[in-house]
Amino acid sequence: MNNWLLVLFGFLSGIIGGMGMGGGTLLVPLLSFLDMSQKTVQAINLISFLPMCIVALCFHSKNHLVQKQHVGWIIVPAVLSAIAGALLTQHTENKVLKICFGVFLVAVGIWQLVLSIKAMVQSKNKGSCPTKQ
Amino acid sequence: MKLDFKKIAILVCGGLFSGFVNGFLGGGGGVLIVTLLLWILQLQQKEAQATALLIVLPLTIVSAIVYFVEGNVSWTETLLTTLGVVAGGIVGALLLGKLNGNVVKLIFALVLVAGGIKMFL
Repeated sequence: MNNWLLVLFGFLSGIIGGMGMGGGTLLVPLLSFLDMSQKTVQAINLISFLPMCIVALCFHSKNHLVQKQHVGWIIVPAVLSAIAGALLTQHTENKVLKICFGVFLVAVGIWQLVLSIKAMVQSKNKGSCPTKQ
Repeated sequence: MKLDFKKIAILVCGGLFSGFVNGFLGGGGGVLIVTLLLWILQLQQKEAQATALLIVLPLTIVSAIVYFVEGNVSWTETLLTTLGVVAGGIVGALLLGKLNGNVVKLIFALVLVAGGIKMFL
């Protein structure tokens, strides 16, 4: 039963990820319904993201959508702090990690809610059809 | 496009923060990086989403290595979920452009808030 749920939850978040909206943010709360530690859930989220990321990156590179100029300013500090963050996870209780993830999701959710309502109002004001992504 | 010191400082600080979030929470850095690319580098939405993948990929690899070394990876569960994610990813890519982007975003935002609340319970 759990095996099918893993595939199903992966599938649902994959749809969101395939639409370019951050499927990982959906996968973590879904997997938290199953009996697994938060650290295991987070590891699944990281690894399951990799194949799709690589395929999508090849696809977007072909379409000249990937802009490499200046990104080094983000990548280098981000890689270093990602290692620090991942190491800190190992010294943090699962319960605390869950709460931190919850706070992050609610914050991002409200922020996205505001952005999408703004976009809807703007497209209505223009009197045209809502923009398709 | 030339960057001044202020913009470089924002990119470095934003990189530090999103990298930390991605490593500590096992995801979520992409949303922050897209915003940074739209705001500071003035990329178009699609360019920002594509470029964010290039940045998130190395972060995810190094974070995954730490989780693996520390013994947090259960391979069977990871493999099954990854199969689902890849299949869903193909469906999502096919659906892209066929649905109203704003409505999907709105539903997604509500799901995020609900998911976040679920994490507290």
